[in-house]
Amino acid sequence: MSLLWLRVAAILYAAAAVAVFPAVLHGFVRWRKSCVHLAGMGFFFHFVSVIEMLVQAHQWMPVGILQVESLLGLAVVSVFFLIWWFYDAISLGLFALPITFLIVFVPALGPDPYIFPSEGVRLSWLLVHIAALLAAYVALGFSLLASVLYLLQERRIKSKPKPGEDSWWLPFDWLPPLDTLERIATATLDFGFPCMTVGLAIGALLVQSTALGAVYFRDPKIIAAFGLWFVYCLLILARRAAGLRGRRAAYLSGAVFLVMMVVLATNIFSQVHRYGPR
Amino acid sequence: MTLVLIGVNHKTAPIAVRERIAISRGDLPQVTRALAAAPGVAECMIVSTCNRVEILAAVEPTTDGSPDAELRSFLHRHFGLDPELLAPHLYEYRDQQAVSHLFRVAASLDSMVVGEPQILGQVKEAFAAAHVAGTISGQLEHLLQSAFAAAKKVRSETGIGSNSVSIASVGVELAHKIFGSLAGRTVFLVGAGKMSESAARYLVQQGAGTILVANRTLERARLMAEPFGGRVVPIEKLYEEASMADIVITSTSAPHPIFGRQHGQSFLHQRRNRPMFFIDLAVPRDVDPAMGKLEGIFVYDIDDLQALAADHMALRSREASDAEALIAAEVERFHQWQRTVNVAPAIVALQQKAEEIRQAELKRAQPRLGSLSSEQLEAVEALTRGLVNKFLHPPMQALKQAAREKDDARLDALCETWSLPTVSGVGEIESGEGKQPS
Repeated sequence: MSLLWLRVAAILYAAAAVAVFPAVLHGFVRWRKSCVHLAGMGFFFHFVSVIEMLVQAHQWMPVGILQVESLLGLAVVSVFFLIWWFYDAISLGLFALPITFLIVFVPALGPDPYIFPSEGVRLSWLLVHIAALLAAYVALGFSLLASVLYLLQERRIKSKPKPGEDSWWLPFDWLPPLDTLERIATATLDFGFPCMTVGLAIGALLVQSTALGAVYFRDPKIIAAFGLWFVYCLLILARRAAGLRGRRAAYLSGAVFLVMMVVLATNIFSQVHRYGPR
Repeated sequence: MTLVLIGVNHKTAPIAVRERIAISRGDLPQVTRALAAAPGVAECMIVSTCNRVEILAAVEPTTDGSPDAELRSFLHRHFGLDPELLAPHLYEYRDQQAVSHLFRVAASLDSMVVGEPQILGQVKEAFAAAHVAGTISGQLEHLLQSAFAAAKKVRSETGIGSNSVSIASVGVELAHKIFGSLAGRTVFLVGAGKMSESAARYLVQQGAGTILVANRTLERARLMAEPFGGRVVPIEKLYEEASMADIVITSTSAPHPIFGRQHGQSFLHQRRNRPMFFIDLAVPRDVDPAMGKLEGIFVYDIDDLQALAADHMALRSREASDAEALIAAEVERFHQWQRTVNVAPAIVALQQKAEEIRQAELKRAQPRLGSLSSEQLEAVEALTRGLVNKFLHPPMQALKQAAREKDDARLDALCETWSLPTVSGVGEIESGEGKQPS
């Protein structure tokens, strides 16, 4: 049944991803309502699907790559709804909803082809480790998105139309105010940092109960993950202490996101922490 | 009943004429009541704004074929005006054109600044005043509700009201793009120009918190700060206090820029890079354009604001054509409703005729139904009523459809078939006509 609910959610996300374009680009109120309702229903069915999936899995654990992907999709749409709720910024849905659909589409195609072989993966604390890190990745993604939109909006306000000339910025009229984007970028970072800290800490503690021990911390992926945590720290410090914002903050967010992609890519080289079959 | 709309607006009459027939909000119910007392006026309302005075009325058909004569005479009588003075400026619309004009007015397509939002509220006020006066009911009630729905649709489905077109409101719109909500923001007025005062008023209306005013003459600064509950800043403390402001509006007559790039850098440092918005309304400019190159500082001078306002105006004109199409569709929808209302007498007659036949047949069958119990009699009653309703459904629908489609030949045929009073020509009364001022 979880697959059925996931498919329903995927269809609803697809519809919401279509509705968000006229809602944001043309400001059509009816489309806006439809988009929020469709995404909301999609979230509901997705949530039901995830709960069913976790109930089916041993000790409430996502035991396959597609299940983790489904959780990631749920995290993206959750953060989107939080931003919509707090900042009334549905425009981020232009990116979040199509991405959610794409993330959910693959697991909705069929059952998981690959199940994590390790028995250790079935420890229930791992759920917190996975969920916290997924939330941190999503928060970082949204922070980068808000920073990039900040740059666009800043350039848009600074570039002034000449009389009688159509501004090429006109299609970007939907961009949220600079202050809102700045607050989204900061708030998502503030939300993501404790998630990442908790996720890494739990991962580090759990590995102590396995035979890997210190070998685990010499793995490239684990080193990269702690490196990511360190630059995440720097990013927050730069924003908070030095009042960094705008272009430089966006570049720094981009750099941290790049490190995050490197962490995901080191999966290929990792001997102790892999998502897929070898 | 004929729908008549007569009036003057900013296109047909100069302010010297408009002000003579303008009605204050408080007097509106009373004047509307006086209008309703005029012979032949069944329903009426008056819209009175600074740009237009219009009377909308449903009037009984007159023998001379000029249903507007009473309304014109009311205007002359009530305002003590010479008919010759008003006549060249008055326009008049009937039925279809009156509906169309009202819809365009409510949707702000007939306004001086197309797309301005106030007019819808003013028409709603006129409607409320007519309600208070008790001069509005069935036909006008539905007409006005349809006009409000059409106006709402135009606002939500087109971009006609999405961009500001005055210098002050363009400035406020830009401030919104930078700061989002303006609640609690600090506005610094440097110089005491009229335009900066107007911009400050807009900003305060939008929730701006603290207002600071600096001017070479302290007394002038105090006068300007007072209405906003603002604080006067001595001119020598200008740079010290400016860093606290989120929005700085300058309009001094200084011959050289008073804010340079180095000031901007200093402000940003003190504000920990929080953005600042400079609205420079002065000529020569008060803010060095180089300051706008700093990240986090936004500078708009009078030319930039004017260009943006003109741009927005052009956009609105483009959106207006979409809005006109929407209005045309809504007007047609109203007429379809009106035409179906006009066949109501025929439908009622048809129902009465059928009911009479049903009752007569029941009476004729009474002797043979004598042995039936009361429940059985009720069942017979329900059965016959159900049969009649089912039989009547197709002709009733056909009548409504023919009316909607203005198909007089079909209406005549239906009425003849069912021996109903003739209702053909329901479309004619809506064709309407208009007279523009000479």
